[in-house]
Amino acid sequence: MHQVPLSSGGVAAGRFISWYRSPGRARPGVLAAVAAAIAALVLPVGASPALAQPATPQKVARIPIRTDGPKNLDPAKGSTTYDNFAISQVYETLLQIKYLKRVDRPKDYAELSEPLLLAEMPKVEDRPDGTQVWSFTLRPDARFHDDPCFPGGKGRTVTSEDVFYSWRRLADPAYEYENYWVLADTIVGLDEYKAAQAERVAKGQKFDYAAPIEGFRAVSERQFQVVLKRPVVRFGWVLSMFQTSIVAREAVERYGDTLGKHPVGTGPFILAEESDWVPGQQMILHRNPNYYDQRYPAEHMPEDAALGLDKPAGQRLPILDRIEITFYVPDPAMWQDFMDGKLGFVQVPAEYFEQAYIKRTQKLRDEFARRGIVAQAVPLLDFIFIGFNMEDKVLGGYAPERIKLRQAICLAMDLQEINDAFYNGLNTIYDGPIPPGLDGYPPDGEAPVSNRGPDLARAKRLLAEAGFPDGKGLPEITLYSSKGGNNAEQMQMFIRQLARIGVRINPRFVDFSELIEATNNKRTQMFTFAWGTDYPDAENNLAMFYGPNAAPGANHFNYNRPEFDEIYRRILVMKPGPERTALMEQLRDMTIRDAAYVGSMGRTRYYLSNPWLKNFKPSEDFYNWLKYLDVDDSRRAR
Amino acid sequence: MWTYVLRRLLYAIPVYLGIIFIVMAALRINDPVAAYLGKNATAETVELKRRSMGLDRPFLVQYADFLRRIATLDFGSADRPYRSWQYESDDVGKKLAGAIGPTVAVTVPTLVLTSLIAITVGMISAFYRGRWPDRLLMFFVVLGMSISVVVFIVVGQSLFRGWINALAGSEVLASNGYEPGPGNWVTYCALPVLIGVVVGMGYDARFYRAVFVEETGRDYVTTARAKGAGRARIMFVHMLKNAMIPVITRIMITVPFLVTGSIVMEYQFRIPGMGKLLIDALGNKDFPIIQAFTAVFALLFIVTNILTDVLYALVDPRVRLA
Repeated sequence: MHQVPLSSGGVAAGRFISWYRSPGRARPGVLAAVAAAIAALVLPVGASPALAQPATPQKVARIPIRTDGPKNLDPAKGSTTYDNFAISQVYETLLQIKYLKRVDRPKDYAELSEPLLLAEMPKVEDRPDGTQVWSFTLRPDARFHDDPCFPGGKGRTVTSEDVFYSWRRLADPAYEYENYWVLADTIVGLDEYKAAQAERVAKGQKFDYAAPIEGFRAVSERQFQVVLKRPVVRFGWVLSMFQTSIVAREAVERYGDTLGKHPVGTGPFILAEESDWVPGQQMILHRNPNYYDQRYPAEHMPEDAALGLDKPAGQRLPILDRIEITFYVPDPAMWQDFMDGKLGFVQVPAEYFEQAYIKRTQKLRDEFARRGIVAQAVPLLDFIFIGFNMEDKVLGGYAPERIKLRQAICLAMDLQEINDAFYNGLNTIYDGPIPPGLDGYPPDGEAPVSNRGPDLARAKRLLAEAGFPDGKGLPEITLYSSKGGNNAEQMQMFIRQLARIGVRINPRFVDFSELIEATNNKRTQMFTFAWGTDYPDAENNLAMFYGPNAAPGANHFNYNRPEFDEIYRRILVMKPGPERTALMEQLRDMTIRDAAYVGSMGRTRYYLSNPWLKNFKPSEDFYNWLKYLDVDDSRRAR
Repeated sequence: MWTYVLRRLLYAIPVYLGIIFIVMAALRINDPVAAYLGKNATAETVELKRRSMGLDRPFLVQYADFLRRIATLDFGSADRPYRSWQYESDDVGKKLAGAIGPTVAVTVPTLVLTSLIAITVGMISAFYRGRWPDRLLMFFVVLGMSISVVVFIVVGQSLFRGWINALAGSEVLASNGYEPGPGNWVTYCALPVLIGVVVGMGYDARFYRAVFVEETGRDYVTTARAKGAGRARIMFVHMLKNAMIPVITRIMITVPFLVTGSIVMEYQFRIPGMGKLLIDALGNKDFPIIQAFTAVFALLFIVTNILTDVLYALVDPRVRLA
C-alpha cells in the first residue's frame, strides 16, 4: 500500500509570503525569496497527530477521482459531481439512497431511499388546502464532528433547527443561490423569505436567519414538519441530495467563507486538519470516531452475492480507518497506479477500454480476470443531444413544414456511426429525452414516434415537403459547439451526414461560456449539449422543455407548447404511478414529434476494482458509499 | 550601476502597466462569470457572483485595485480576501505560494543539470569540431530533443521506473504525485528532472556548441595555445569566461519559467506546481488565478531582463551600464 503522508510545505510557503509582506522587515532580494521558497519546499515533514501511525494496523484504501477533484465542501456552494462526492463523506442528509439496491424505473423516492439522519422515513400527509405536510423525526444519536467551533470542542446533537438553518442558507445571497434550485417553488413561504431577505441584504442589512417561514415548523428538538405548497414529487429525492446536507450554525459562524475547506458535518469521515485536503492533488478522510451506530445493509440485489457484497451485512460503519483520495487529471497516471495495485478502483478511460475489455462482447479480458480484477458497469442518467432553437426564424416554430424540416435533419443523422466513431460504440441510443433507468424511458429505447436516422429517403421526402427539395433554398445552418474534446471531429461527421440530404452546416466552435451566452440569448440555430439528470425522476429531464424555463433557463430549446406545460405542471404534483408515467410518455413523444432535438445518447461508465478492495458497488447517482468499503490487505500485491 | 537599475525599473513601469491593462481587458472580453458558472447558472447567480468579485465596478476601478494588490504583493489576506473562484476558501496568493515549492523542486535542478551538462557537451563538441567525439555527442543530444517529451514520460513512467524499482527491490521512483521534503525528492522529482534534462539538453548543447565554436576561432584562443595553455585551461578558463554573455542570456531567459514551471511535466506527473495551477485555472476558468499568474509572470520577465543586463556588466568588464 502506498501511503501518502501530507506535510505543511504549502502552508509554510504561505507563511513565507506573510512574512514577506509584513511591515518593518528588510526587503529581501530575489535570491532570498527563492531561497525562502526552497526552504518552504524542504521543510521537514511534521508528523501530525491525526496521521501518526497507530499501534494496530489501520484499514486504508486509496481511490481516485478522475479530475482535479472537489472545489468546495460547503453544501450550499458545492456544485460539481466531485464536490458532491467529497461532501457526501463528511456531511449527511436526512435520507440516503440504499447502497445495494438498484431499481429500474423507481416508482418514487421511498422505493430507493432510507433514513440517514432520520429515525424513520418521513410521514407525508396531504391537506385539503392542497398543501402537503412532511413530518420528520431526527435520530437521537447523530452528532456533529468534534470541532473547536463547539463549546469544549465536542460536537453536539443535530436538532430540528439545524435542518431549518441549513436549508435557509440556500436562500442566502452570500452563497449566490448556487443550490437554491433544489428547494425553489416547493416549501410554503421559502421563496417569499428569499425575496424579502434579498431586499434586506440589498439595503445593507444582515440576512435574518431568525425570520419566520410558514413552511418550517419545529415540533421539538428532534421533531419537525415541512409544509409544501403542493405535493412536489421531487422533494422526496431532494432529501437525499448533498445540497440539503445538515450543517452546524457554529461552524458557519466560525469559519465563514472558508467553511468550504473546513467541513463540520455528521458524516462517517472527517478531515482531521487543513492539510488533509491539498486542492487539485489529494484528500485524506479519517474515520469519524464519534459516528453513530449505522450498519452495513442486509437488503441487496440477487446478483450481489456473487461479489460477496451481502456478507458484511450488519457490520458497523464506516469500515475503513482512512481513505486517501488522489485526484488525477491525466488518465495515464491513474491507469498506471491502478495497474500497480495502488488504487482500489478505477473508472476505465475510453482509451484504455480495449486494453481491459473485449470490445465486441464488453467482457473483461482474461489477463485482468486472472488478477482478480472485477468489472462493473454503471449506466449514467445521461441525455446527449443536438438541440434546435425553437424560436429560430428558419428552424424554429410549430408549423407543419418547420416540424418536417427538423425531422428531416434528425433522420439524416446516424447516431450509431457517431457512437461507434467517438464512444467505442458503448453509448446507449434511445428516443426522447428520458434516459434508460427512468420511468418514461421507451422499451428498448424505441418510442412509438421516432425520428431516428439514418433514413435518407424519408429525410429527403420531408425536406421536400418542408419546401427545400434536396436542401435547395435552405440557408446554411449554424451549429454551435464548444471547443475541446473531439468536438471538431464530431462536427465533421455531422456536416458529412447532413450533406447527404443537401443540408449545409456552418460549424461554430466557441468557448463553453460563449455557447451558454448564445443559447441564453437565443442566438443559436442548433447547439450540441448534454444533460446529467439530477435525481432519478424523468420530471427533471422534462423540465428542459417547460415553457417558463425558456432561455436563459434550462429550456435551451425555447420549447413552448402550452399543452406540454399544462401536463408538466400536473406531473410535478402527481403521485408516481401508471397515470403519471403515461403522461411523461406523452410529453416525451410530444418533444420527439416536434423534433426539438436530434437524439439521444446516454453513457455507461465502466469500473474496475482491484481484488483487495471489498464491498465495492459503484454508483454515480449518489456518492456516500465510501463508508461501506473494506480492504483485504492479504490480497494486495507485495 | 544602481542608477542604471533604477532607470531601467522606471522605464519598465509603463510597460508593466500596459501589460496589466491589456491582460485585464482581454480577460473581460467574454464574460468571465458566465464562463465560470456554466450552463445552469441563472442570471441572478451570475449577477451575485459578478458583484461579489467586484466585476460590476468600472474597469478602471478594477484596474487600480489590481495594481494596488500587485504593488503590495497582496493576492489575498484576512482583511482583503482575493479568492480563487474554483477554490472559494483559498486566496490566490496562498495558491500561488503553495505551488512555487513543487515547481522549483523540479525546475531548478533541471536547469542546473541541463546547463552544466549542455555547456560541457557544447565545449567538448566545439573543441573536437567535426571529429567523432563531436559527432557522437551531437547525435545523442539531437536524438534526445527529437523524441517527443510525452514519449519520454510514458517510457519513463512505465519501463524505466519499473526497471529501477525492480533493481532496488522497492519503490524508488513513483510514477506520479508529489510530496515535499528532501527525503521525498528522489521518489517524486528525480524522474521528471531526468526527462527534463534529456529533452532540454539538446537545444542547449547545440546552442552552446555554436557559441564555443565561434570562440575557438578567436585570437585569444590562439594566443593561449601559443603560450602553452592546456586544452582544459583554454576551454574552462579562457573560452568559458569569454562566452559568458550568451550563456547568461540563455540561462536568464529561462529564469521566469523556473517559477511558472513546466506545464507538460507537472501535468503528466501530477506535480502541484505553478504550471499545473495555471492549466487547472484555465480549464476551470478561474479568472483571479489566471489574472494574478499573468501579472506575476510579466513582472518576473521584466525583472529578469534587467537582472540579465546587470549580470553582463559583472561578468564582462567591457560592458558599461549607462
